[in-house]
Order: sequence, then structure tokens, then C-alpha cells
Amino acid sequence: MGLVEVATGKILSSFSVFLFLTILLMVVSRRISTSIVLFSVQSAIIAAEAFATAFRERLAAAYVVAALIVVIKVVAIPRAFFGLVSHLKTSTDVKASTTPTQSVFIAAAMIYLSYAAVQSYEQSVHVPEDALAAPVALILTGAFLMVSRNKALMQMLGLLVLENGIFLAALTTTFGMPLVIEIGVFFDVLIGLLLMGVFAFRIRDTFDHLDVSKLRRLRG
Amino acid sequence: MILITPMLIALLGAFVLLGFRNPQVATRAALFIGGLEIASLMVVVWQVHEHGALRVGRYLRVDGLSSFFLINIAFISGLVLVYASGYLRHPGEGRFSSPRWFYALVFVFLFTMISVCLSANLGLLWIMMEGTTLASALLVGFYNTEGAVEAGWKYLMVCTVGIAFALFGTIVLYLAAVKAGMNPAAALDWASLMDAVPRLNFDPHLVKLAFVFVIVGYGTKIGFVPMHSWLPDAHAEAPTPVSALLSAVLLNCAMYAVMRYDAIVSHAVGTGFPHTLLLIFGVMSMVVAGLLILVQRNLKRLMAYSSIEHMGIIAIGLGLGGPLGLFGALLHIFNHSVGKSLLFFSAGNIRENFGTLRMDRVSGMARTLPQTSLALVVGSLAIVGLPPFSLFVSEFAILSEAFSQERYTVAVVFLLVLSVVFGGFSYYLLRMICGENPKNAPANGKLLPSEYSVMGIAGVCLLFFGVRIPHIFTVILQEAMAVLR
Repeated sequence: MGLVEVATGKILSSFSVFLFLTILLMVVSRRISTSIVLFSVQSAIIAAEAFATAFRERLAAAYVVAALIVVIKVVAIPRAFFGLVSHLKTSTDVKASTTPTQSVFIAAAMIYLSYAAVQSYEQSVHVPEDALAAPVALILTGAFLMVSRNKALMQMLGLLVLENGIFLAALTTTFGMPLVIEIGVFFDVLIGLLLMGVFAFRIRDTFDHLDVSKLRRLRG
Repeated sequence: MILITPMLIALLGAFVLLGFRNPQVATRAALFIGGLEIASLMVVVWQVHEHGALRVGRYLRVDGLSSFFLINIAFISGLVLVYASGYLRHPGEGRFSSPRWFYALVFVFLFTMISVCLSANLGLLWIMMEGTTLASALLVGFYNTEGAVEAGWKYLMVCTVGIAFALFGTIVLYLAAVKAGMNPAAALDWASLMDAVPRLNFDPHLVKLAFVFVIVGYGTKIGFVPMHSWLPDAHAEAPTPVSALLSAVLLNCAMYAVMRYDAIVSHAVGTGFPHTLLLIFGVMSMVVAGLLILVQRNLKRLMAYSSIEHMGIIAIGLGLGGPLGLFGALLHIFNHSVGKSLLFFSAGNIRENFGTLRMDRVSGMARTLPQTSLALVVGSLAIVGLPPFSLFVSEFAILSEAFSQERYTVAVVFLLVLSVVFGGFSYYLLRMICGENPKNAPANGKLLPSEYSVMGIAGVCLLFFGVRIPHIFTVILQEAMAVLR
């Protein structure tokens, strides 16, 4: 194994550690703005991984994708979120249904679980264990944020974290999908967020709050 | 070019429609564009029938299976557009709630669903599948009431998360294909995958993992239990033409995606694994939805649960496989679409006239709304699977496949659920159709020509296909089945 491969393997592993850190901080943060900043940092780490992959594999398309992440996920989406927070004039509390202590334990358990889940696939895809566990942990945390945070905005953020995990999975295992498909996926994410923003305004206007756990009219 | 035309007509049509502020002009323009759209789809279907699979560029392809689903889209969207022209007399208030927005969004929705059927690439298929959610979310929340906003939000969140899992499954299959030695540019192409799977050595673990994620992901859009939570809300709160589109076209498009993956996975690791999963989801959906039908109060929620049940039936047909199972599943897709549209159209008339969809507040319909009552009875008899209607034929085909494979558990559960659903439907229907008129009974229950004509077409089609399936339709069905072999 060449020096470059070993070095990239190590870099990917340490990037994964930073990603786990953002996950743990995200589940304990009480304010929406903190979570948004953490999401931006998380996307920046993923963008760095994309640049590293593009450099190692000499893939021009991967540079484009990495640049797109910087523009969209590190800058544009967090800014839009801050705009939404100030326009909706809502309280900044995330309305968590688990205490920070519980959340940390759950997040830690999910990180452990993601290591356990990737054990059997490590051999077949030739990627370091940490780099394989990080996307799975991101997907699980995203799902956890969506079910345990009652603010509409936090659910959107949870979805983005989940999407980050899926993107990272594609990046570490296959060096990304074909460029056209990646761009299409970005486009879908953007439109999806736009629509969720529209619905967030509608929820606030119809119900006078943004607490999605109180939307319980439709049952059975 | 021939494949791009239907997509272009739908997308450009949507933009053109946004320009018409006058509701009547917008309606007429929508009908005109709808006519063009259907004609262009029929040209595509005819070309496939004459010349076999067509391919345009790297990302678009149409074969027998997609052309079968295109026929379904064309037929149902035609009915829905004509019905909507009369239905949209009282649009809601709000930014996106005028007829021009309604028709524009419907055409974007149609564009995404047609693109799902035309895409050659599994990545593009995913993008367009997510596009269907995005295009229809505003339509679900069209009325802007509390219920509509809640249903729209739930629809958007549940389906986006579900579809995200399908993306993960797509990536895993891509990984398996690249590891097996396929060229990365072709590794998401369905036709090349089908070609490569028997030759190359795909890692069975990865392929199975991919299928689990794909069936959970697209299964969310199909409405498989337990990922169905969005479906009754969205169907009940959306405007009636949109409910019909969701139930009769969108669910089928998601089923189409699963069928494509099922074919690949069956070739890679044998039919055992994917078909067992389909059977499990199918039986679960049938049983749970069948029981929930009994406790519904809202007519459109009742129909939404019936859609889940029928998606279960189709999944069982696919899961059994074999010539009869596959034939029954495909035929059932078409028959269910026609029957369910007819039922939703009748529900729309009831809502227009009684001002409610609560079944305990509607009675004596036979006197006040004779035509709608007839449609409701025909639609319900068809949807519970009684002869001589067409759903009987397809359900019978699936059931005979189950018996010939000696899968008695599946067959018995199938029959039990059908009888439970029959009981539920007759109980609620008799109460609504017979009895005294309540105080909110409508004075004038006359239907518009646009309403009774589409309901008549759907009813006749149900009866006709139950007695005799036209030869050309059988040929197209066989072409669709040949693709999956």
C-alpha cells in the first residue's frame, strides 16, 4: 500500500472523529442557531473530504461536487436557515423531547451501533472502519433529531444531517456518483428545503406556533 | 426527440398555465395541454409496440414495462383533468391556491411521474421520484386549512426521509456494480445492469442490502405498512382530483421503481430474497389496511386505506411471481387505478353536495344524488373484487398463482382480508345510500357533464375489462412482462 493511500486512510479516519464530535454537540445543543452553525461545520468537513478524494483520485467531477457543497451546504443553506429563524420570529429553543444527557447517551449508542453495522462490509469495500461508520452514524443521528425535536426547523435540519450521511456514504465507498446525478440530488434537496420553508410559514400562520408535535388533528 | 416531447409538453405547459390569471381560460388551456400530452404519450407507446425498446441519449429509455405505466398515466390523468375542470369551482384562498397554480402544479407532477417511467438511469429515477413528492406537496396542502397544512408537512417529511433511504439503496447497488467491474458511467443504467448481472459476480450481501433500503424507501411512497402514515392524511386532505392522481398514478410509479429493482436483484441473488420481502410487505399492508378500513369515519380516508390494501395485493402478485402472479399484478395496477379514480370522483361529488366527507353525516344519497350513488356502488363493487368487474379478474389471477404454488397461508390471508373489506365497504355504503335525508342534504344534486362523462367512462371500463380484456391490451401486458424476465 502506497504512502498516499495510508495517509488518506488516516485523514479519512480523523475526519470521521470530527464528524462524531459535531454529532454529539448537535444533539446537546439547545438553541437552533448553534445547531445551524454545527451543521455548517459538519458540511465543511464533508467538503474537505470531497476535495481530498478528488485530489487522490484525480477526478475533475469530484472537485465540482466539493465546490457545490461549500457553496450550498456550508454557506447558502445555513444563511437561509438564519433568515427563516429571524423571519418566523420564533423562539430559539429547539424544543427537545429528550434531555441533553439522554441525547448524548443515545447518540453514543448510535455511534457504537454504526460501528457494529459496518463490520461485515468493511472487507468487501476496502475502506477504513471509521470512514464507513461515520456516514451511518450521521444517518442515524439525522433520523434521531427528526423524531426527538419538535420544532419544524429542527426537523428540516435533521433531514439535512441525514442527507449529509447519505452523501458521505456515496463519497467514501464509490468516490461519488456520476456528476449529473449528484447535481440532480442537490437540486432536489434545495427545492425540498424551499417547500419546507413554505410549509413552515404556513404552519406558523395557521397554528400560530412551529411546534410540530402539536399537529395531531389527523389520526387513525 | 419522441421521448422528450411528453416531458417538454408537461413542463412547458406548466409554465404557460401560470400565465393565465382567468380561471376559465386556465381550465381550457389545461384541457388542451392535457390532450397534447396524452397524444404524445400514445405516440411513444405506439412506437414501443412497433419497434421495441427505444433509447434517447444516456438517460432516457422506454420499453414495454414503462409504456404500460405510461398508458396508465395517460388514461388517469385525462380523466382527472376533465373532472377537475368542473370540480375547481370553489378554489381555496392563499398564495398557491388558484386554478392556474393548481393546473401548473398538476402538470409539474405529471412531468415528474412521466420522467420516472422514461428514465433509463436509476439515479435519474430517484431524482424524479423525489420530484413527485416535491411537486405534489403543495397540491396536498392546496386548501390551506389546518388539516391540509398538517397533511402536507407530514407528506413532505415522511416521504423525503423514506426516499432518502432509497437513495442510499441506489448508492449501495451502484457500489456493488462498480465492485463487480462495471464501468462507473453505466453502473446505474438499468438496461446495462440487467445485461451485466448474470455475467458479473455481484456481491450478494451488497445487493441484498441495496434491495432492503430500496423497498423501504420506495415502499414509503407506495404506502406499504408500516411506512404508510402519510398516505391517508394526504389522500383525505388533498383536493379530490389530486387524491385520484396520488392513489391511481403516484403509488403505481413507486411500484414501478420497485419492480425495476426487483428484476435486477432477482437476477443477481435469485428470486427468493426479494420476493419474500415483497410478500411480507404485501401481506402486512393488506391485513393492517383491511382492518383499519373497518374503523374509518371519513370517506376519503376509507378509500386511502383501500389503496394501501390494493398496493398490498399488487406486492403479493409480484412476490409470488410466475406468469399468472406477474400478469395479475400488472393488470391489477391498471384496474385499481380506474376503480379508485371512480370512487374518488364520487367522493368529490359527495363533498361538493353534502359539504362533508364524514360518513355518519351522509345518508339518503340514493334520492338526492342518484348518479353519484350509482357510481359509488359500481366503484365499490369493483374495488372489493366482485365479478363481473375487472378487479375480480386480476385478483383471481393472483389467487390462482398462490394456490398453484401451494402457498396456502398467503391465499387464506388474502381471502380473509377481501371478505373483511367487503363487509366494511357494504356496511358504510348502505348507510350512506339508504336512509332518510339529513338536514344538510343538497337541494340540487345534478352533475356537470364533465363529471358524469368521466365517471361513466371509468365505470364502463371497469365492466368491460371484467368481461373481456381487449387484445391490444393483452399484447402490451405481455410486452411489459417480457421486460422483467
